[in-house]
Amino acid sequence: MFDFGRQVIMKTIFPMLFALLLGCGVVQAAPNADEILAASDAIRNPGRSFSFTSTLTEFQNGKQVDTNTLSSYSRLEKGGQYSSLIRFVLPARDTGKLMLKNGNDMWFYDPTNKASVRLSPQQRLLGQASNGDVASVNFGKDYKPTLVGEEQVVNGERQMRKAYKLALVAVAPEVTYSTIEMWVDIENNRPIKGRFFAESSRLLKTVYYRKFQRQLDAERPTESVIIDGLNPQSVTLMRFSDYVARDIPETWMQRDYLPRFQPE
Amino acid sequence: MMTFNLALRNLLRNRRRSLATLLGMAIGSTAILLFGGFKTNISYEMHTTLVRDGGHLQIQHRDFYLYGSGNPTAYGIADYTKILEAIKNDEVLQKMVVMATPALQFGGIAGNYAASVSRTVIGNGFVAEDVNRMRMWNDFGVPSKAPLSALEGASEDAAVVGTGVARVLQLCDALKIARCPKPEKEQKAEGAAIPDDIAQLSLLETPSVSASDGKAGARIEVLVVNSKGAPNVTSLEVVRAEDRGIKELDEVSLMMHFAKLQQLVYGKSPPKATSIMIQLQHSDQIAEARARLVPILSSFSKTQPLAVLDFRELSPFFVQTMSMFDTIFGFVFLLIGSIVLFTVSNTMNTTVVERTVEIGTLRAIGLRRGGILRLFVLEGALLGLFGAVLGATMALSLATLINHLGIHWLPPASAVEMPFTVAIWGETSMITGTTIGLILIAIISAWWPAYRAARLDVVEALRHV
Amino acid sequence: MADQEDDLEPAPTGEQAAVKQGPVAVLTQVEKTYQLDSVSVPVIKGVSILVRHACFTVLLGPSGSGKTTLLNMIGCIDKPDKGEIIVADTKVGELSDDELSDFRAKNIGFIFQNFNLLPVLSAYENIEYPLLLAGASAKKRGNRVPRLLEAVGLSDRAKNLPGQLSGGQRQRVAIARALARKPKLVIADEPTANLDSQTGAAILSLMRRLVERYEISFLFSSHDPEVVKAADDTIYLKDGVIQKIQRKGVGEAS
Repeated sequence: MFDFGRQVIMKTIFPMLFALLLGCGVVQAAPNADEILAASDAIRNPGRSFSFTSTLTEFQNGKQVDTNTLSSYSRLEKGGQYSSLIRFVLPARDTGKLMLKNGNDMWFYDPTNKASVRLSPQQRLLGQASNGDVASVNFGKDYKPTLVGEEQVVNGERQMRKAYKLALVAVAPEVTYSTIEMWVDIENNRPIKGRFFAESSRLLKTVYYRKFQRQLDAERPTESVIIDGLNPQSVTLMRFSDYVARDIPETWMQRDYLPRFQPE
Repeated sequence: MMTFNLALRNLLRNRRRSLATLLGMAIGSTAILLFGGFKTNISYEMHTTLVRDGGHLQIQHRDFYLYGSGNPTAYGIADYTKILEAIKNDEVLQKMVVMATPALQFGGIAGNYAASVSRTVIGNGFVAEDVNRMRMWNDFGVPSKAPLSALEGASEDAAVVGTGVARVLQLCDALKIARCPKPEKEQKAEGAAIPDDIAQLSLLETPSVSASDGKAGARIEVLVVNSKGAPNVTSLEVVRAEDRGIKELDEVSLMMHFAKLQQLVYGKSPPKATSIMIQLQHSDQIAEARARLVPILSSFSKTQPLAVLDFRELSPFFVQTMSMFDTIFGFVFLLIGSIVLFTVSNTMNTTVVERTVEIGTLRAIGLRRGGILRLFVLEGALLGLFGAVLGATMALSLATLINHLGIHWLPPASAVEMPFTVAIWGETSMITGTTIGLILIAIISAWWPAYRAARLDVVEALRHV
Repeated sequence: MADQEDDLEPAPTGEQAAVKQGPVAVLTQVEKTYQLDSVSVPVIKGVSILVRHACFTVLLGPSGSGKTTLLNMIGCIDKPDKGEIIVADTKVGELSDDELSDFRAKNIGFIFQNFNLLPVLSAYENIEYPLLLAGASAKKRGNRVPRLLEAVGLSDRAKNLPGQLSGGQRQRVAIARALARKPKLVIADEPTANLDSQTGAAILSLMRRLVERYEISFLFSSHDPEVVKAADDTIYLKDGVIQKIQRKGVGEAS
């Protein structure tokens, strides 16, 4: 008796309620900027500690000039931000070199002469160090987003997509970019494109996220195309692979441990 | 007096020999003084250049001098405007100070991305009108003039770079710099072409050919790390390339307006300066000015240790150069002194031998040994006196001649040719010192022959042929 | 260094004076040897003499007899190896070099064979020089030097340099110089050797006059027979020893 009642309610009333609500447009509540950003962060990062391999290819003026393969170990810290330990794998001359990004400090370690050096903010303007801050970073922790609107935007595969445009303003002290423009796919909250600005409002970098593949329980962008804002002829292609969820010990994220680090 | 008379007349007795010795001494004295004048001239020029560029004193964060080069903006001075006010209002400093002006040093990357080149630069932001006023300082009356900074009156986003920077950033044509050979394009094994789809994305981001390309301008982007550690970038128009004199400096130097740089580095945070340059009327006021500044600064030093440095401390090159010149001068003096020693000694020896009978006679009629010694030493001293005085006179005349010849030369670490002059007129201490020094050397060199003369056996001397 | 009377005055004359004053120089067993490399050459071999005051004494002897050496020792410009020399009542052997210089300046005048005038000084200045050495005042000098010039007959040559004077004139200047400080003893080694006979004779008579007038003791060495003739005492020296002594008015002694 009761079963029959329940089935009727579920088959008739709920769908009617649904239709009503749909009609009123109440179910489609205005999306929250924080939620959108968080969702796009969640697509890029698995929400836990993990390791992956990244292959970087640099292009200048239309020609390939350099390529690197790195192993990254990203640890999700209390407070929700990632710290990363990166090990150079290729080319052979760089094998074994390490880079550690922990909070606002960046360290570089060379095993051949067992020297570790802290990179000053000035030194981070150039080279590999400047690419790290667009990769395993949870923007939601350091930036406050505002939903600017919805736009059609060309994505990394050169397809037109409908996107939320978010304006991010730095809230944490000492972050690299003063403001960020982020386009997030309306359909699936995928990050499509990001533009990163300096305090003077000059564009420093543009990033396209593409080649989404299933990795660690979600469709994640396995390629980032980073275009230098000052010199658009300078392009870096980052390819990510071999995602492995793993616990990364805290000791790995300490500068003193660098000489003893052994990849597993 | 008789001894003096005797000595003098004996010198006149063999005029040719005395004159030759005198002349030798005079030439030696002239050489020393001319070199000394050259050294003094260089000292004045360098001193003037340093005071023109950076003032007599600079107020800086205490650690800036030793540690600031790694990260200059971390050592900024807060409340620098208040310090400038305090200096302006101090009654003693008012009379001494020609200019007090702030400056900001930074390190960053300058890029000419249209040509795909960039370069690390060390830069300075300053107030152009103030600096140009400072460049007029000429307490020593040196003939060279400092070129004025092109930033005065230029637009807000103007920049002046070293010629090396202009060269590396391929701005030579825009700035009309001569002697700017284009580098050979290295025939590197070309890498693979960029995948087409990425190239298209890159194109999306490339700004379209804009109106600015029509101008024959020299636009650069300057990327710095701001006071919060984040990158910041601005666009500047290079209006001139300046030769800084030293190649290494040429290749990293970038100058821009103070206010604009503050904006770039400090953004919306309270702006600071990395130094306050103070130029005085006269260099000998440095100690007094410093004494006056220290108590003023102590009231601003609670949160930041401040130091006052004078231009010599800030420019070890100057001190080292002058020190080297002093050493060379001493060396020259020693060399020439040795020659004078030898010459006078030789002359006196000959004289003694010639006058052996006379010496015996003088001893026989009762002149003591000491008297003989004094007689010959006095002769040497007179030679020294006349030689040195003649030398000083010759040097002064030659200096006048040289200074009016209008020769030019290019000193090291200088970008501009300077008139070649020797500063001897008015250098009383150098002239006096050299003259007295040579007289002393003449006395010393006469001493040994005089001593031998005094020790002669009277009978032997009288018997001498 | 106070001097005696301010100007030259004739002294009491005659034998009274000679008797009153002791000998101007006394030598006792004086010896002198020269060392030539490893060879010792004795020059004066035990000489004891006295030289009389206010007398014209001549040392006579062949070359190599030691005349010059003896003169030098009495003149205090050389020292004996043995024996004692007393000059003007002073044991000169005990004096230091500076003391000897002062002693010579005050008590001994030298007249040299070659005149030995300072060539850069005039006649006047040459004569003046010993006075300057003594620190005599300008007044005293201004007084004494013209008188000396007059005494040797060269007042009109005061400003001439030695190069502008004849041999005789130079020797006279030398004499005036030797007398400048009124020495007790004037020593001359062959004073007439470089003069012609006429001039030499004139010099001799001058010196003779000075001895008589001013009671100065002259001690010479000479070959010149004219000099010998003019002498009061003649001391004959040979091979470093006294052969004989002839004293006028006192008889021979050996």
